[in-house]
Amino acid sequence: MKISYAWLKEFVNLNLPPEELAGCLNQIGLMVESVTAAGEDTVFEIETYANRPDTLGHLGVAREIATLLDLSLKTRNWPLKELPQSTSSLVDINILDPQLCPRYCGLVVKGVRVGPSPDWLKKRLEAVGLRPINNVVDVSNYVCFSLGQPIHTFDLAKLKGSKIKIRKARKGETIRTLEGQRVELEPDMLVIADETTPVAIAGVIGGEESGITESTTDVFIESANFNPVSIRLTAKKLGLSTDASYRFERGADPNAAPVAAVMAASLLCEFGGRVSRGLLDVYPAPRKPRSITLRLRRINELLGLEIEPEFVVKTLTGLGLKLKEQGPQVWTAEIPSFRVDLEREADLVEEVARFYGYDRIPSAVTPVKSFELPADRRRDRVWRLKEVLFHHGFDEVINFSFTDPEKEQSWQTGCQPIRLQNPISAKLSALRTSLLPGLVENAVWNFNREAEGVHIFEVGNIYYWEQEETHRENLNLGILTTGLRSGRTWKENEKETDFYVLKGAVEDICYYLGYDQLSFEPVEHPFFEPGQALRIQVKNEPVGLLGLLNSNLARSYDLERPVYCAEIDLNELLRKQPRAFSFQPVPRYPGTSRDLSFLVEDSLNYQQIQQQLQKLNIPYLENFQIYDRFQGKSLPPGMVSFSVRFYFRHSARTLQTEEVDRAMQEITSQLKSTLKIRLR
Amino acid sequence: MSSLLEKIDHYRRLFADQVARVKEAREVEELRQAFLGRKKGHLTLLFEEFKTLGPEEKKSAGRQLNELKSEIQNRLGELEQKLQAPARVKQLEDLTLPGRQLYWGAPHPITLFQREIERIFISMGFSVEEGPEIETDYYNFEALNFPPHHPARDAWDTLYINDKLLLRTHTSPVQIRVMEKKKPPIRIIIPGKVFRRETPDPTHLPMFYQVEGLVVDRGITFAHLKGTLEYFIKALFGEKIKLRFRPSFFPFTEPSAEVDIECIVCGGQDAACRVCGGSGWKEILGAGMVDPQVFKNVNIDPEVYSGWAFGLGIDRTAMFAFQIPEIRHFYENDLRFLRQFNRR
Ligand SMILES: [Zn+2]
Repeated sequence: MKISYAWLKEFVNLNLPPEELAGCLNQIGLMVESVTAAGEDTVFEIETYANRPDTLGHLGVAREIATLLDLSLKTRNWPLKELPQSTSSLVDINILDPQLCPRYCGLVVKGVRVGPSPDWLKKRLEAVGLRPINNVVDVSNYVCFSLGQPIHTFDLAKLKGSKIKIRKARKGETIRTLEGQRVELEPDMLVIADETTPVAIAGVIGGEESGITESTTDVFIESANFNPVSIRLTAKKLGLSTDASYRFERGADPNAAPVAAVMAASLLCEFGGRVSRGLLDVYPAPRKPRSITLRLRRINELLGLEIEPEFVVKTLTGLGLKLKEQGPQVWTAEIPSFRVDLEREADLVEEVARFYGYDRIPSAVTPVKSFELPADRRRDRVWRLKEVLFHHGFDEVINFSFTDPEKEQSWQTGCQPIRLQNPISAKLSALRTSLLPGLVENAVWNFNREAEGVHIFEVGNIYYWEQEETHRENLNLGILTTGLRSGRTWKENEKETDFYVLKGAVEDICYYLGYDQLSFEPVEHPFFEPGQALRIQVKNEPVGLLGLLNSNLARSYDLERPVYCAEIDLNELLRKQPRAFSFQPVPRYPGTSRDLSFLVEDSLNYQQIQQQLQKLNIPYLENFQIYDRFQGKSLPPGMVSFSVRFYFRHSARTLQTEEVDRAMQEITSQLKSTLKIRLR
Repeated sequence: MSSLLEKIDHYRRLFADQVARVKEAREVEELRQAFLGRKKGHLTLLFEEFKTLGPEEKKSAGRQLNELKSEIQNRLGELEQKLQAPARVKQLEDLTLPGRQLYWGAPHPITLFQREIERIFISMGFSVEEGPEIETDYYNFEALNFPPHHPARDAWDTLYINDKLLLRTHTSPVQIRVMEKKKPPIRIIIPGKVFRRETPDPTHLPMFYQVEGLVVDRGITFAHLKGTLEYFIKALFGEKIKLRFRPSFFPFTEPSAEVDIECIVCGGQDAACRVCGGSGWKEILGAGMVDPQVFKNVNIDPEVYSGWAFGLGIDRTAMFAFQIPEIRHFYENDLRFLRQFNRR
């Protein structure tokens, strides 16, 4: 909202330099966004709030400044040159829906010479960014930006009959607006109608047909009050936002309506107009002023200071409230009708604080009376998991939760996507059902910008319809690795990433978070190349997938290098109970190790072998580790060679060679029967 | 002529005496020659003498002689190793070559900044709460005292899923969810993703991060709000940062405030400053005393309890703190951008 310094001076005597005035406006929350010199005038662009329609006119801003500076507002008189006829003999106002139109005032001004406005008026309007049109339209804008009360002017000659009806539109009715647009009206929209048709959309915009033109001589001034919600719904539906609707939807002051009508009429007298006798003022259910009890104690309690009661009285009186002392330091405050925002005691506390100055309120430490233990360690675990991935050289990314549903379809995530009702664009019109498409896009982006390898992860929600009407958001972890790994030095070349880089990261996450019973099962899934994916399981329950990205998908993103990726359901994983930590004594006696290389049928995979090795019941066997896998022509067909190192230890003494030899014989014989191994 | 045993003892002491004075490898060899030399070594001569002894004498002298010999050998061996060790280590040719560095992945700057904020509040005894990103109109607006069809909603331009569900426009619904479950005292912060129907431009995106704080207890005042936020901003931006509180409007707080901090880019010295527009101030957070209607909506008696709340945009604040010109950088995920934050 633009505020002209010269215009403010019409309401209050001010002589501060503009910068000082800007400081005053900031102090009371009318935040100045810019100060511009405009000839002799200065224009302030101020931030106004949805609950303060009174500041949408210069009078309201003047009232605030006057209160702050302890000045009084000027009283202005609006003399009228009157016609012999009474207003009621010329027009007949009928409010058919007093809910939507609580008050309607009207005056007729005859014999107006429509033409360009005088310079003073043009200057005022131009200062606040309005384009002067003609003196009648300019007067209505001047009144609106003075008082914050929108008014509308009709060419009386164009209204059929003398009846003005404020009613809801009828099905099928249309109107051509002042902007020249034909609008279909709907039955819940309030209109101003003459005997036959709507002539204005109430509180939003006037009709072209009844508008002021060069040939207008007789003007009907409408100054009314409309229901804010009704105006907002109508304006939204029509996609129109006008100076009038902007003010009405915030709640205009019903008591400004008669004042604005008289002010406009008086100004039209300057252009030859003569005003009908007696303001027509239809106000079927006059609003009673609101009263609020205000306690000084409460002000001090909420603000944390000791304020003088005199300051409270002076400030609130300046703002137009009527304070009556109810008891010691307790008042009943009668709220002026222009302050729609003042409804509770807390609202008055804010008024006192604003004018006292937030900067003068002391600062204090918020007292702590108790400490609370965190409800769970979930957030710590998510951070721990990120640390493991940082350690493995993965960078963290954050992608939009939005997705292009067309594009995501090719991923066949198997989740019903949640679409937005009013998306910004088609590309952002649904919520993602997987983190992997975003990670793949990140890989493409970076490959196109000099990257030779991309190793990234994201922790974030995916969203989908679980059933009809039941939505679900789920915390997932996505990991992707492709291309060269960093770590090239003069001593060694960088290496191409591979499946086991990814798998190692997943295993380490589970290891360092204490999820012990980790296993993998081969799985077929549309994300991955056939036969090249595993289901990740903890305690035999699925928690995610990992594998080589399906080559058709990779090709659709123009990715040439193999892409390995994983997606883990963190809700599922973090719900599992991690192994409880327990300290193990440090061994006091040396251990020993033996290697065993053996052949098995190549239909066996390592995990199956591992499961058998874990089942071995051998004294002093502490651990084992695979260190080679080999398949080749030198081996009998259909066989694969594994080499495993076994570690032995006795907790209370050094092991004898013969004991270890016996253990190895036992291992060999057990594996011969369970895995049908052949020694190499 | 003294007995062999006495001679053994003599040479033992002689060796101990001489070996203590050895400083170079050359001397070790000399000592070895003197004691173990094939022809004239002291011990060699003793062994010659030993051969002439009778069987009884041989028994005790033999053991001692052998002990002394291995003692001398071991000692000289040790000494040799100690004195000659540097010569045996492979020499590196160029120590100025770079060392082996290890690449650590970079945390996303939003994560990083969010953690800094969390740390400050956790140190003041706050706990961290989270809530859903898909919300209902009730939690996102109504319970927070936004009447239906009120223009106040315009500043929170909303993405809707259907007539009942929307993407939360702020983290404030979590305030309601926590207050519904828990009785005061409450002392929490709420970080998270929020969504607005904003067309992307350098400072706006339809998704960004916020952190919200809430304190509810008996006797909480606006002065407490000021004190806590002043500490927080100083902890984040440094002891010397200037800040100001000015009145504002939010439906869920009353009185409401906005907090500006001094522009760290131009210090208010540049009328054309891209960051503060020349005002010298940068709006950083919104705050206020919890509105009594919000308390009523969660069955907390506003006559008994009071509270303060604040909300801050993590992206915007991080942009300001790190002087990042455009918000889109956060979600483009260009590694050349992200990896810089490894060094924060
Ligand atoms: Zn600046």
